[in-house]
Amino acid sequence: MRKLIFLLRKEFRQIRRNPFMIRAIIGVPILQMLILVPAVTFEVKRIDLAVIDSDRSQASRELVSKLTGSSFFVVTAIPGSIREAESMLFSGDADMALVIPSDFSEGLSGVTRPRLQVLVDAVNATSAQLSWSYLVSVVRDFNREVVLNKGMVTAASPGGIIASPGGMAMSSGSLPGLSVSPRYWYNPTLNYKYYMLPGVLVILITAIGLMMSGLNLVREKESGTIEQINVTPVMKWELIASKVIPFFIIGLIDLALGLSIGWVAFNIPFEGSLLLFFACAAIFLVAVLGVALFFSTMASTQQQFLFVAFFFVMIFILMSGIFTPTESMPLWAQQFNWVNPVAYLMRINRMVMLKGSGFQDIAADMGMLAMLAVAFLALAIWAYRKRA
Amino acid sequence: MEREKVIEVKDLVKRFGAFTANDRLTFDVYRGEIFGFLGANGAGKTTAMRILCGLSRPTSGRVLVAGIDASRRPEEIKKRIGYMSQRFSLYEDLTVRENIELYGGIYGMAMKEILPRREALLERLDFTSYGDTLIRALPLGLKQKLAFAVAVFHDPGIVFLDEPTSGVDPVTRRQFWEMIYETASRGITVFVTTHYMDEAEYCDRITIMSEGRIVALDTPSALLRQYGTKSVEELFVKIARPQRNTV
Repeated sequence: MRKLIFLLRKEFRQIRRNPFMIRAIIGVPILQMLILVPAVTFEVKRIDLAVIDSDRSQASRELVSKLTGSSFFVVTAIPGSIREAESMLFSGDADMALVIPSDFSEGLSGVTRPRLQVLVDAVNATSAQLSWSYLVSVVRDFNREVVLNKGMVTAASPGGIIASPGGMAMSSGSLPGLSVSPRYWYNPTLNYKYYMLPGVLVILITAIGLMMSGLNLVREKESGTIEQINVTPVMKWELIASKVIPFFIIGLIDLALGLSIGWVAFNIPFEGSLLLFFACAAIFLVAVLGVALFFSTMASTQQQFLFVAFFFVMIFILMSGIFTPTESMPLWAQQFNWVNPVAYLMRINRMVMLKGSGFQDIAADMGMLAMLAVAFLALAIWAYRKRA
Repeated sequence: MEREKVIEVKDLVKRFGAFTANDRLTFDVYRGEIFGFLGANGAGKTTAMRILCGLSRPTSGRVLVAGIDASRRPEEIKKRIGYMSQRFSLYEDLTVRENIELYGGIYGMAMKEILPRREALLERLDFTSYGDTLIRALPLGLKQKLAFAVAVFHDPGIVFLDEPTSGVDPVTRRQFWEMIYETASRGITVFVTTHYMDEAEYCDRITIMSEGRIVALDTPSALLRQYGTKSVEELFVKIARPQRNTV
């Protein structure tokens, strides 16, 4: 135990003397929070729209101005033909093309239902669907106004337009008999930042913990100082503990820093218990540090370590459910997440921060995380070799 | 007078795949002597030393250091030895005082035990003005002397020095050997590898290794007499070369 104190004193002295470490400890959380939180979003905020208006009537202009008035749609081009519109979708100059037929206004006043054609760039399926549903809701609004203006509110004549993506027809005209107004729980304003921020905090401490501790041990291998330690009677657990504890503390400091930035810069709500939040992060950090030290025990150079660590960090984070719910992943991916510490904390952080979940709600996840922490740390100690 | 053996090696073999780095080494080292391990680069000196220190596992053979079996209880050996590796391995970003404190501490010394000994050591080495200097700012000669002082700071029974003087100037080498003598006079057995043949004459006994084997082992003067050569260098060329030709 006394030896561990000497080793820890050494680690803290080295960290304190390393200007890069100090900059990283302070700079990484600030940059990551300020960049990733607003940038990583699935919200579709601007849709570049190409409009082919073959009708050129008051009604068609009203439809277009209703679209551009919605703040999502920006008319970036007025192509002369469908072919030209297609090439704009192809080149990325437009995200969506709207074709208004020449009988549009005629149809609105008569009995024939006018058909709009919509072409959507669906390379990104999620944003294509979102764009499509924005369009449909604007068209539905437009429809209702048309129908109301003409006093045609009868069940027998649903009236209105049919908008069709590609060739598929979809009726969007019927007036609802009852209205559904959703109330969104836990994130009432559907603010995407609130959803991402707890996840970005997980990425933050994963990166800090994994990279800093792992590189530290491999660097000692490269410089040869580790051999001088290996020839002393230091116990393996003492050595591993001396590499875990400093970065454990740094991870918690950075988490506090990241969370503070969340409060100040993004006004993130925090519904749950801070103590519980930090307790889970602490367990998580032990697991991640165990993984890092296991990798660095296996690696003999910093490049080797970085390659392996980078690879696993990517997998851990992408599979953790930060962007996509883990429940919709294939079964094998969900099974992989049993040993993915990032997946647990991703869930826990969102539950504690946004829902205010208490200990009972997350006890199962916490328990699993604790088991992983013990297992990975034991693995690192076991794999460490004092002699070749 | 029966001399006490502190290292006993019998038929030590170390293989890396098909390559045999140490081929049936057999020798004993006695308490308080300066035992030199000579050989060209790649002769297997460092490999043998790392096995004696518990840093590497022998393939076969019997190795006792301070009476302890090196293949079974290497950690017990580590409590009783000091080691100075071929690569300089003090922490460059710690000061002289901090390095001494660290190694004193991990060999189990208490802070109140370390402090007076550390200051006495700095005094003795004439290092007091460097006490709070970072290691990276020291010239190589001073670094090597300090590394040696750190290796014996906890008063081990045996100290292993792997090419301690490689790359340092002749004056510093001279001073370094004075430190070795001083250490041996305190009863610490010194096991030293080198490829400087003139240094061999400072040793009580020398072993010459070639191609993983021991080709000669005796006091320097006895070996010179036996082979009829004037210097160890001449001796080395004479007995280490023919081996090479037979391979």
